[in-house]
Amino acid sequence: MGLILEVKNLTKKFGGLTAVNDANFEVQRGEMLGLIGPNGAGKTTLFHLMSGFENPNSGSIFYDGVDITRKKPYQIVNLGMARTFQLVRSFRYLSLLDNISVACLSPRGKEAFGSSGIDEAASSILTSIGLVDKARLPPVILPHGDLRKLEIGKALGTNPEMLLLDEPFSGLAHEEKEGITKLIKRLSNEGVTIFLTGHVLQELMTLVPRVIAMHQGRLIAEGSPQEVANNKIVLEAYLGRGEGFA
Amino acid sequence: MASLQLELQSYVGRFRTWAFTFRGSITLFSLLGLLLIPVTGNQYLTQIIITGMILSIFAASWDLLAGFAGQISFGHAAFFGISGYFTAAFVKFAGANWIMATFIGAGYAVIFSLLIGIPCLRLKGPYLALGTLAFSLILFNLFLSGTWLGGTEGISGLPSAGNIFVVFYIIAAFMVGSLVIMRVIVDSRLGTILKSIRDDEICADASGINTTTYKLIAFMISGFFAGIAGALFVINTTAVNPAIFSTLYSFYAIIMAAIGGLATIFGSIIGAFLFTLLSEFLRPLAAASLLIFATVLILIVRFAEGGIMNPFLERLRDLWDMIRGK
Repeated sequence: MGLILEVKNLTKKFGGLTAVNDANFEVQRGEMLGLIGPNGAGKTTLFHLMSGFENPNSGSIFYDGVDITRKKPYQIVNLGMARTFQLVRSFRYLSLLDNISVACLSPRGKEAFGSSGIDEAASSILTSIGLVDKARLPPVILPHGDLRKLEIGKALGTNPEMLLLDEPFSGLAHEEKEGITKLIKRLSNEGVTIFLTGHVLQELMTLVPRVIAMHQGRLIAEGSPQEVANNKIVLEAYLGRGEGFA
Repeated sequence: MASLQLELQSYVGRFRTWAFTFRGSITLFSLLGLLLIPVTGNQYLTQIIITGMILSIFAASWDLLAGFAGQISFGHAAFFGISGYFTAAFVKFAGANWIMATFIGAGYAVIFSLLIGIPCLRLKGPYLALGTLAFSLILFNLFLSGTWLGGTEGISGLPSAGNIFVVFYIIAAFMVGSLVIMRVIVDSRLGTILKSIRDDEICADASGINTTTYKLIAFMISGFFAGIAGALFVINTTAVNPAIFSTLYSFYAIIMAAIGGLATIFGSIIGAFLFTLLSEFLRPLAAASLLIFATVLILIVRFAEGGIMNPFLERLRDLWDMIRGK
């Protein structure tokens, strides 16, 4: 165990809007942590800050003891923290195998798999996410659930120690959600630290032991899913009143 | 030694397999036809084909940058011109031989591709295109108004590399070599990374790829081959002047690559030859030729969005299958 990620006094403003307001939290190595909040709470901005796609106005982020506050996204990935996106992104004219191969060709991927082992590693990742039979297809013809798996597969190509999964269940049917849940659980069991967002707490209830709740850029509660679900401030944030939970 | 021999045998085997495929046979047949053109003794036709071969390298170099790496340049004439000037200068003032001067010129094009690429790669999409255009316009005006390297007159009276037939075969060798190397690059791991940047730069960044470095590599490779084309252009004309930096050349590269088919490399051959032949045949019509040319271009872009090479080869294949009764 031990600390893998530390966020200190992180603030991000877009003009007059404070998207992330003085965020402070820590993530332990090997932990599975959830971040919930209604739409517009600032979850994705927080992920953008942690993954280097946005620079904060103030505060700092440490990954494995290294200050990554203003590092570029590819540098952060090569330190071991990869991410997926809320709106799935892929290399639309490349095959699924090549989509994964690109990540395996990153410096960290090459270090893990060797320059001559890229194809094998990419195939193995495709097998692990259940898409190996579609290896030669382009992503544009895949259903949404498979694209979500591909997102995770691309992140795995960089041999990450920590994964940031931005709304991994968004837009998925029930069976697809189950598939992604299994995949996330397996990665967690393999020792990958997982930090995922969601705007429906019930999706994360059975998956994560600890949840942080966010509202209007502020971290408003932290604890087990049950504790957070019963937190009065969280209930007010979601429902505008202090009782019941959707 | 034994492993080298095995590797060589493997390459020979792969070449033999490729040569008997439809595309392989068509390529070899076309190449044979091309190499026989000087044998006809028709200097006029040979000259047109030389121009087509030079422009096909130039168009393919643009295709590598734009079609594969997704970096649209409107200023490709800058690399073409810089190499042309330095090649001419080394031949004229340093007495370098043509082949050596060609590589020196292309080397300078690589240096300029870095000088242009480093500031321009902070720009994206249309802004990148305009940034590269601005650089080529700056070079055009510098060489036009400056007194160095001949000013408006440029450098002329260069020694010939040989008679037109020798020049033809030198340029044919450069064309085949350049296009094959570019195709190998885009089919390699490097090519996969460039294509990923073209498809989604943010996603490539999130996959741990230093996109800036790879975009610069694409600029340098593209600049090198545009430089080879510029040097060959000067070998052929034995003179160079600031018009080589003209924006028209940049747009010619785009038009030729688009006609043949973007992200194909070999499509540039068809685009360049069609462009050269059409320009030549329409020359007597003077200004009206531009109108006809523009109409043809609009029709191609409208009805063959992916260029004409692949649809043409598919039709040819259908015909071939029909003849064979398949």
